[in-house]
Amino acid sequence: MGQHPSVKPESHPSGGAPAERSSTIMVPLDGSAQAVEALPVAQGLAKLFAATIHVVHIAPRRIPNEEICDTLKLTQAQLSSVIFNQPTGSPASAIVHEAKQWKSRLIVMCPHTGEEKPVGGFGSIAQEILPNTPCPIILVPPGRGQRPWSLRHVLLPHDSTPTSAIAISPVADFARHARAGVTVLHVASVATAPVEEPGTFPAPRYMDQPHHEWPAWEREFLDRARAMGKPSPEFTLHTVFCTEGIGEAIVRFASQHEPDLIALAWRLNLEPQRALTMRSIIRHAPCPVMIYPVRGMNA
Amino acid sequence: MDEDSPIRSSAQAEAGVTPAFRLIPFTPPLTIDPHWALVEEGFSLAREHEIESICTVANGYVGTRGSLAEGTSLSSPATFLAGVFEAGDEPAASLALVALPDWTQFRVVVDRVPLSLETGDILEHRRILDLQHGLLYRTWRHRDRTGRVTYLQFVRMVSLHDRHLLLQSIMISPENYGGVLAIESSTEVQDERMPRIQWLPKLEGERAVIVGTTTRGVTMAMVDHSEVRSEEGRSVERVSEVQADGLIERWACSAHTSEVFRFTRLVAVYSSRDTKDPAGAASEHLRRAQEAGLDVHIEDHARAWEERWRATGLEVIGDETAQRALRVAAYHLISAVNPNDEYSSIGARGLTGPVYKGHVFWDTEIYLLPFYTFTDPPAARALLMYRFHTLPAAREKARRLGYRGALYAWESADTGEDVTPDSAVAPDGRVVQILTGTQEHHISADIAYAVWQYWQATADEDFFVAAGLDILIETARFWATRGRLEPDGRYHIRAVIGPDEYHETVDDNAYTNVMAQWNLERAADAMEWLRINRADAWRAISDRLHIKPDEPTSWRRLAEVMTTGFDPRSNLFEQFAGFFQLEDLDLEAYRARTLPIDIVLGHERTQKSKVIKQADVVALSALLWDRFPYVVHEANFRYYEPRTAHGSSLSPAFHALVAARLGDIRLAAQYFQQAAEVDLATHMGNAAGGMHMATLGGLWQAAVFGIAGIRLRDDGLVIDPHLPLTWKQWSFGLQWRGRKVTIALSREPGSVIVDLQTGGPMTIELGEGAEKTVTQMEPRCRYIAHWTGSRWDEWQVKLQL
Repeated sequence: MGQHPSVKPESHPSGGAPAERSSTIMVPLDGSAQAVEALPVAQGLAKLFAATIHVVHIAPRRIPNEEICDTLKLTQAQLSSVIFNQPTGSPASAIVHEAKQWKSRLIVMCPHTGEEKPVGGFGSIAQEILPNTPCPIILVPPGRGQRPWSLRHVLLPHDSTPTSAIAISPVADFARHARAGVTVLHVASVATAPVEEPGTFPAPRYMDQPHHEWPAWEREFLDRARAMGKPSPEFTLHTVFCTEGIGEAIVRFASQHEPDLIALAWRLNLEPQRALTMRSIIRHAPCPVMIYPVRGMNA
Repeated sequence: MDEDSPIRSSAQAEAGVTPAFRLIPFTPPLTIDPHWALVEEGFSLAREHEIESICTVANGYVGTRGSLAEGTSLSSPATFLAGVFEAGDEPAASLALVALPDWTQFRVVVDRVPLSLETGDILEHRRILDLQHGLLYRTWRHRDRTGRVTYLQFVRMVSLHDRHLLLQSIMISPENYGGVLAIESSTEVQDERMPRIQWLPKLEGERAVIVGTTTRGVTMAMVDHSEVRSEEGRSVERVSEVQADGLIERWACSAHTSEVFRFTRLVAVYSSRDTKDPAGAASEHLRRAQEAGLDVHIEDHARAWEERWRATGLEVIGDETAQRALRVAAYHLISAVNPNDEYSSIGARGLTGPVYKGHVFWDTEIYLLPFYTFTDPPAARALLMYRFHTLPAAREKARRLGYRGALYAWESADTGEDVTPDSAVAPDGRVVQILTGTQEHHISADIAYAVWQYWQATADEDFFVAAGLDILIETARFWATRGRLEPDGRYHIRAVIGPDEYHETVDDNAYTNVMAQWNLERAADAMEWLRINRADAWRAISDRLHIKPDEPTSWRRLAEVMTTGFDPRSNLFEQFAGFFQLEDLDLEAYRARTLPIDIVLGHERTQKSKVIKQADVVALSALLWDRFPYVVHEANFRYYEPRTAHGSSLSPAFHALVAARLGDIRLAAQYFQQAAEVDLATHMGNAAGGMHMATLGGLWQAAVFGIAGIRLRDDGLVIDPHLPLTWKQWSFGLQWRGRKVTIALSREPGSVIVDLQTGGPMTIELGEGAEKTVTQMEPRCRYIAHWTGSRWDEWQVKLQL
């Protein structure tokens, strides 16, 4: 028995309507078609949270107002519903700075644009923003186009660690705001070594009598998820056993069940052999992915 | 160990109750021996359920999970009453152990806000399970959102001395503020998913009485008396409120800074299994308990625990982790049993959690019972009497399936009827058939084995003649009809499941058949012994059970032609007919998995492969070591161990046991650790639904039967030590036919000390093969033998104890 190390969310729980946060959503646009595909998602969220969208564009030269729509591939209607900021400096630093300054609830952006070859699913700007973000980030997969977006179904992969459980409460709140359903997905992979984090509750290694063990495990898994996600949201639990990587299994499940959002807790580590599940999901997700940064725990 | 000093565990126990315990609960728990304490520092919500199981306080009659008194968003408080079952609400739900209203609920409300670990700041929080005295402590210093600091100290116990008595005491002190402290205690049903009982609460003066009756006709009564006093002697007025299925008591304490208040609660529990009037008995019991006073109960309880530890010992010098795992195991084994109750047994999770619903499996006889047989024979006897009393149900099951004799239930509850469900829903939504109830028949031989082992270890002839023989005979009769003599002249037992439940509907499972063969032989031996030694009883039993004169002979004949799958050329048992033709899989390739292998491979492929769920042939080595030569054990262990996936929590401990007997101390230590981690690892959550009792019993067997190499002889015990590298000294207590023996083994230099404390002379055989020595020991003497490097030296008698 031992003391459980403290795990704290990196930022406020998104959607939790904390009093100190203004209701802004930051959308970085660089003029690429991929980047602007984040806007319908941001608009859906802005409607949900009665938030204001701040479009951020960083470029060596300031864009004259009459060129904004053309440069950023926005319609006039889109432009008229947002606040447009043109900070200077390194794009990633400027976006993080803007999000901090406006106490943004979310950053909604494309994980990469056509300008560069993504590494592990991320472009260089997303890669630099992620470890420094003051709020959750929603990454919108390139190619989703300008279809309107609304939140009806959230897929919450949960590896049963307390770290990943940190995301349950804000995601539950998020879903409650939208009256969306939450599916908690636990993927147990053949290829994954046991997690050593205290409080982890993986699929049982010992299955003395399966007809007793499975219902007990499922009940305990949900009890823990509900306790962490207080006030208790209603969850549906799916357990998936896979022989491939966990990320691939989550994407496969998402493709079959068509959630509007996949929510992930992330331990703020993007070193080459870390965050493999997140990278895999970002690369192949059929829907936007919310990354909820968690500090205080080694990956 | 110093040869001239008494064995430490015994000496500590001889000293009696540690004086500090007289003061409990009024002093901080600083005097607890850290080697006997399980400490949980801080608070981790995610781990609450497993900590609750680990911190259960129980006495075999009643068990209370170590839930936090004020509750959290992940608390599952439960108090189980052994042997009382109720059907669940769902149509297909089978009988489950009943949970009593939670008697431990308590909260402090400051300025209308209840103190909670989930709000404000935790300045200090620690739970200590004192394994030595069966007490659960907790200290909690808490700062609320307005800066008020409150200090609380808790202690609770379920008395081992007086099994109907439960006690809770809490100290509350506002450290830096004054004002009104509201204290609330309640007794209510907490978990709605437990079987529902209609509880009727009422007040009788200052006592709260709660009575409930199961649909099976068992009435339970809890009588509770709580009070709050200030340290200055002021009593505080109480307001009681009866609710639908429980009651709440409230005290408003006008407190000044640092004032200390004490809440105490005494509860008496009875059921109609104990007496015709459980409410009256509980009320009277509580009245007497109140008169005696709190300290007396705590002292008696602590002394009862020390008495049990005196018989059990368990000290590992050099490996604190192993010692703690063994003491935790023994703590829960002691907590799980009630030697005074012949009509209930120990479920898979004891009284520590709801999973497995209190159902009793073969685990009890094969994994748990040896601990009791060798350290607490009356408890072992009571557990075997449960099987005697459930013989009618076992006979009925055999009859229903077309056999004679007794086929015990795979899952048993109160009457012994089989409560194994026929089907269940798999995690992927498929409805799967459950075949264990109709095919896993080795349980009958397992129970016969436990009866025989108990008789051999205790020489309890009264039990053997009055009850044990019935079990041996009726199980032998079952085996005599369960199989068939086939044209090859061999007796075959077809369509069974062995301990390796990955392979269903197999023919001639080696474990089942060898155990059946053994059962048939022992039943015949027993009848022969009875005829020669107790002719009167022989006639009576022959009449009562309608035993034909040639029946024992026919059992021997069937045993002789039993198919066992043994091949003398390879020394291997084939686990079942056709096993050697199955696909061989390299389990090393799946080592990194977190899932049971049958989930990884799928049901069909698992059935077609040589992957084994748990010790099966290896279990024969654990149980019947002296039946086969060393080379047979070696060959089978080396063949089956790499093919065993340990998908059952029962498996690692038996592998540790057999590996140790084979002298493979590296592998033994590895499996011992794996078994120890089943409930104590912090990153698997295995214990959430209760402690794995069979693993705990297996762990003790691994240490005593494996590492110390203890085996039974007709006239005494064998010791064949194989200590892991980290175990410098290993000592423990045993009982054999009325003698109390303490055995201490040292690694470097190798030595064995045997203290024969009471009873008559007995034989000790030391070592294995050509190096062994056999000596008759006299009581009240200490014997010491040294390892010379190639053999054990002659025993020296050092002193009269």
